[in-house]
Amino acid sequence: MKSAFLFPGQGSQYEGMLNDLPNDSVVKEVLEESSEILKRPIDTLHSKKSLSTTKAVQQCLLIASVSTYKIFEKNGVMPSYVAGHSVGAFGAAVASGVITFEEALKLVTLRGELMEKTCDSGYGMAVVLGLDEYQLSEIVSSFFNKEYPVYVSNRNSPTQITLSGSLKGLEKAIDYVKSHGATSAHLLNVSTPSHCPLFKNVSEELLSELDKLNLKRPKIPISSNVNSRLLRQADSVKEDLAKSICYPVRWHDAVNLLYEAGARLFIEMPPGDVLSKLANQAFPDVRTIAISKSSIEDCFYLHSGEDSHLYR
Amino acid sequence: MVITNKEKAARSWTTRLEAKKERIESVKSLVDGVIIPTDRIVDALELLIKPGDRVVLEGNNQKQASFLSQALVQVNPKKVHDLHMIMSSISRPEHLDIFEEGIARKIDFSYAGPQSLRIAHMIEDGRIELGDLHTYIELYGRLFIDLIPSVALVAADKADRNGNLYTGPNTEETPTLVEAAAFRDGIVIAQVNEIVDELPRVDIPSSWVDFIVVADKPYELEPLFTRDPRHITDIQILQAMMVIRGIYEKHGVKSLNHGIGFNTAAIELLLPTYAESLGLKGKICTNWVLNPHPTLIPAIESGWVESVHCFGGELGMEQYVAARRDIFFTGKDGSLRSNRTLAQLAGQYAVDLFIGSTLQMDALGNSSTVTKGRVAGYGGAPNMGHDPGGRRHSTEAWYNLMTSDDPLARGKKLVVQVAETFQEANKPVFVESLDAISVKDQAKLAIAPVMIYGEDVTHVVTEEGIAYLYKSDSISERREMIASIAGVTPIGMEHNPKTAERLRQQGLVALPEDLGIRRSDAKRSLLAAKNIDELVQWSGGLYTPPAKFRSW
Repeated sequence: MKSAFLFPGQGSQYEGMLNDLPNDSVVKEVLEESSEILKRPIDTLHSKKSLSTTKAVQQCLLIASVSTYKIFEKNGVMPSYVAGHSVGAFGAAVASGVITFEEALKLVTLRGELMEKTCDSGYGMAVVLGLDEYQLSEIVSSFFNKEYPVYVSNRNSPTQITLSGSLKGLEKAIDYVKSHGATSAHLLNVSTPSHCPLFKNVSEELLSELDKLNLKRPKIPISSNVNSRLLRQADSVKEDLAKSICYPVRWHDAVNLLYEAGARLFIEMPPGDVLSKLANQAFPDVRTIAISKSSIEDCFYLHSGEDSHLYR
Repeated sequence: MVITNKEKAARSWTTRLEAKKERIESVKSLVDGVIIPTDRIVDALELLIKPGDRVVLEGNNQKQASFLSQALVQVNPKKVHDLHMIMSSISRPEHLDIFEEGIARKIDFSYAGPQSLRIAHMIEDGRIELGDLHTYIELYGRLFIDLIPSVALVAADKADRNGNLYTGPNTEETPTLVEAAAFRDGIVIAQVNEIVDELPRVDIPSSWVDFIVVADKPYELEPLFTRDPRHITDIQILQAMMVIRGIYEKHGVKSLNHGIGFNTAAIELLLPTYAESLGLKGKICTNWVLNPHPTLIPAIESGWVESVHCFGGELGMEQYVAARRDIFFTGKDGSLRSNRTLAQLAGQYAVDLFIGSTLQMDALGNSSTVTKGRVAGYGGAPNMGHDPGGRRHSTEAWYNLMTSDDPLARGKKLVVQVAETFQEANKPVFVESLDAISVKDQAKLAIAPVMIYGEDVTHVVTEEGIAYLYKSDSISERREMIASIAGVTPIGMEHNPKTAERLRQQGLVALPEDLGIRRSDAKRSLLAAKNIDELVQWSGGLYTPPAKFRSW
């Protein structure tokens, strides 16, 4: 059985989340390293107030997922594949050895800062349940308005899809889809219109920052955000990390690809269990486990069932 | 021009045989007679397969030559590359890994459901060269014409030391694949679960087989045709009642194939109850081309079924089939003999009716099960889901569909499509344009992957009613008929109640009440078995369902 490690994105964070990580010396080391790089105590990073900023949220998500991943690494446990949702892709890239943790932490810090300053307060995201991406795209493009732009963004599952754009446009879209087939539609608690063309400049600045780094070839294939391909080259990982913020995350396809590639065990790094739930809904026969809802020993045990023998 | 004797003598007419001998000679030091040691399979494949070879790898919708496919992906791409793969079903990850590793280059296949996203990507990215998408029969046919394999990699249950093979209930297409290679001096390699002194029976003789290898674990087998009756809905029961009255009884359908959907499972489970109460036993549904569906057990036990010929086996049905020898095709040893090629041909030419479910249908009755962004192929449904123009023999149902008094008029195969007007997520089944058209463009296919063409469809059944399409040659009238049973889908919204009434009067459309069916009677209590446990009880404990279907 092949395995995939999943790295969550924005929405999974909660106050005090870094206190709930598995108790292991490598986790402590990563937390200390983070504190040094960011030049601030960890406790101030995951406070309620701090998590109201996109930047801190992205930093915390990276720290939580990568520090936990390091426990697996220390114990010689390597997944067959990795994938991260949105900012989670930076954690996946660290796991795969493409960038270092320090590089990733600086990149997500920059990413968060750029996202915050690109759009004013009139923007956000919404989630729509019960319509597929084609139905939703048709609706959204039918009343697209330059002044109040709205875009179809993340494909989290075939019928759980987000919209990004101006709040006015989003409210209009929510009203419309509610009476046209959606089972539910509401605004998300985020102030940034992620994964749509409004963030083209963020993408460009990220790319020029990534260009300065010496990226390594992935040790573990990465299922990508933008076009749901298995990435095996450093350049394609770079492109995905940079582009993702102004393109939809094709999460369902990214997981579907892992499923077709043979992954039947999905282990979700902290915090939260959003990605495991999505994987289970889409593919009822897979085994999923979210570390934040379980113990790391269980993950080791399940992972040891993986077979990888050769015939030669 | 006269060819001189000298020129004639210069040409060898046995180049294929010589090449085969050379390949076999090259593994002499590796093998023990016809047996390739399990741990030397990769080395053996590197010698027996040459760059550019056409390789047929057994992978179909149930049985997979999983040991050989896992070995093939490990050969050195410097030694073995540019293979042209021929596969009925692309099911396992390594079936596409061999392309990513640079071992294979081109593919001809029939079905790719379990790898439909990956193959769509690989076609789009130019990482796989697509020969074509086929129905099963087309692909098997081409194995003997322009896709003749150099090597066949197949799976069997058991072999003896001479290389005779027992494929048993899961014979499926193994004999066809082997025949195409064996009789054109290709190399045939069979993985087997075990080598025994004496086989239960010989399904494939040793003279067709070059090498056998004992797999490290049994070949993969999927219980694809098991439908748990717990998931059958009242709407599916209503549709099943309509099919029984409005199609099977009306036309006297005796021989037929069922798809794998819950719709047809519902029909199977209504035969001993609802259909029995209508006095139809012996008049309909007697001779089947069908896998051993567990949901057919109650009908068999109630004496409805005379014969069943199978494409493949079904996990857990082995003992039941062996104990019902009068019904199934079985060998001297007592176990089922399946044959996908012959069952597909029988389903194409010899049965009255094919019935299957669809996910999308356009206003003219063309239907497709493809999803945007996925390339899933066809499998066998289009073989059976069409009116074969070459048919000459007449049966009651076939003759009954004759609509003209022209002296040359002929009957028609019944091709029935069942659909609920909406799929999940509020997606209308009846649409103006099929997703198949966008898949054609995305994957650069020569034609849109339509599963069943509207011109072949004789009946469409929804929860609203039945459209008797075969009764009209007029495109606009057929469109009206479909619209009148398409509910509140975009297609359904275009019909007007007056037209619907006229179509009903003319017998072109029937609603449940026209067939004497009360919607409120369509209840799960009509099912002869309501869950897997009850199927086991019907079978007297002979059916042993795989663990994932056991709820007790």
